[in-house]
Amino acid sequence: MEPLKLDVNVGGLFLKNPVIAASGTFGYGEEYAPFFDLGMLGGIATKGLSLKPRQGNPPPRIIETPSGMLNAIGLENVGVERFIAEKLPFLRQFDTKIIANIFGETPEEYEKLAAVLSCADGIDAIEINISCPNVKKGGAMFGADPDLAAEVTAKVRAETNLPVIVKLTPNVTDITRIALAVESAGADAVSLINTLTGMSIDIENRRPHLANITGGLSGPAVKPVALRMVWEVFHAVKIPVIGIGGITTAEDALEFMIAGAVAIQVGTANFIDPASTLAILAGIENFLDRHQIGDIRELIGSLRL
Amino acid sequence: MTERTDNLFSDAGFIRHNRQIAPGHFLLSISIPLAFPVPKPGQFCMLHLPGNEAMILSRPFSVHGFQKKKKEAVLEILYRVSGRGTQFLSNLTPGAEIRVLGPLGRGFWRLAGKRILLVAGGIGLAPLAFFLEREIEYGNHSTAFSIYLGAKNAEILEGLASRIPAGNQKLLPATDDGSIGYRGPITDILKKDLEHLATKETMILACGPTAMLKSLAELVTQKAVFCEVSLEERMACGIGACLGCVVETRNQNGSSTYKRVCKEGPVFDIREIVWSR
Repeated sequence: MEPLKLDVNVGGLFLKNPVIAASGTFGYGEEYAPFFDLGMLGGIATKGLSLKPRQGNPPPRIIETPSGMLNAIGLENVGVERFIAEKLPFLRQFDTKIIANIFGETPEEYEKLAAVLSCADGIDAIEINISCPNVKKGGAMFGADPDLAAEVTAKVRAETNLPVIVKLTPNVTDITRIALAVESAGADAVSLINTLTGMSIDIENRRPHLANITGGLSGPAVKPVALRMVWEVFHAVKIPVIGIGGITTAEDALEFMIAGAVAIQVGTANFIDPASTLAILAGIENFLDRHQIGDIRELIGSLRL
Repeated sequence: MTERTDNLFSDAGFIRHNRQIAPGHFLLSISIPLAFPVPKPGQFCMLHLPGNEAMILSRPFSVHGFQKKKKEAVLEILYRVSGRGTQFLSNLTPGAEIRVLGPLGRGFWRLAGKRILLVAGGIGLAPLAFFLEREIEYGNHSTAFSIYLGAKNAEILEGLASRIPAGNQKLLPATDDGSIGYRGPITDILKKDLEHLATKETMILACGPTAMLKSLAELVTQKAVFCEVSLEERMACGIGACLGCVVETRNQNGSSTYKRVCKEGPVFDIREIVWSR
């Protein structure tokens, strides 16, 4: 029998399999290396990187909610320079694709980040974060406006030859408008969804559970919303779509691929079980075997209506 | 599948027993494979709530006891029912499978000293009793141990005190209602004792509610006594990735940094913590 074909092409980013660890849930890889060979993954999206190190939001930063969690970390990260000097060499040891997730407060900051990272050896793609709901400036502000989203994308596009992925926020009226805008601005792929803005209150003291008051909802609770949006965007754009949102099992991942995602990102599930990406990958292979599908690409966008 | 490296372990264990030791307080005993690395006092584990689709995140618990037997290791967790997760946990019965990740974080330093004061607020006794148990096991006879134990009432205090290993240590109790020992916060008794005990020969290890730790921080500020505290924060992963469990810590130059309770902690030098909340 022919070996299973699991490799996918995400707008010029070639992955040996479609399972990517999502930004903000996988650190810079170090915390997960004790649990499995990171080289098993299709790719790793780094913690969101900014030009300067960021302290993040005051605690409390997380709270569990039914089948999910809210977070308001606020993009705490070591900054792009320390990332390149101290974190990237570690990640490069593994046979996996490194996707640098970038965040800026202005379009110019995104532009600079793209320039700096393109010169660094060992970055395979850039994922533009215009969808973080937990920062005052930048983030979802760019992701909610088609013109601003396009401006950021075009600026990054002009600075790099690496594949450019734009990570979209679900906190908009029509996500396809943003997807189309960044496609026209030169994005090679889109990834969706980032977290849904939410809130939780401690009724005993009538205070919000999070110091930031609101936070981003993730986990199985958001999966149906994410799946619907992936399906909508898949039909609206020509560039590849990466599916994200509550993927915890292989079945979840397969739903996204059938809906049109060429690859998927695993986020909150990494917190639940540090080796969940591997279990998801194994489950996908098992499914393909069971259905005698030799090439995973046969599955992508194969939804029957 | 057992995944294990030098010091981390993620695998299924089985509940041996899960019994109430005082109202709302439980002792959970878990049988886990021998491959589980020996935890240091002050380290913690993440317990995954089995078969619960609503509560997706594992819960962090201090290691309260650990023994290696012939064919298995036994991990003990002492917990108080304080929310939906611990409520669920308290209903699990012997034989139930439960995934354990650990041992995690940095434990208490083991410093030689003439006198060690263990300051426990309620369920905060869990890691301190484990510390004491290890010291007794190591045959540490040169240190005098005192346990300052605060609890809501006599019933809870006595239940908790039953978890203190047998030894020569002194127990100093305090309760909120005065039903046993001193009536009021445990730090009141400590304050008096520190007037003559606060020397370089004394060290304090503490775990308990934030209010207690805050008072303790004030007590030791101007004293020469070494003091470590074990902190508790909500956390999603327990391994340093989610950045959800940070606390504000003081830098030498006066600025502050967030540190992860799961990774840089849960045990910190009390002087390092910025007690703002």
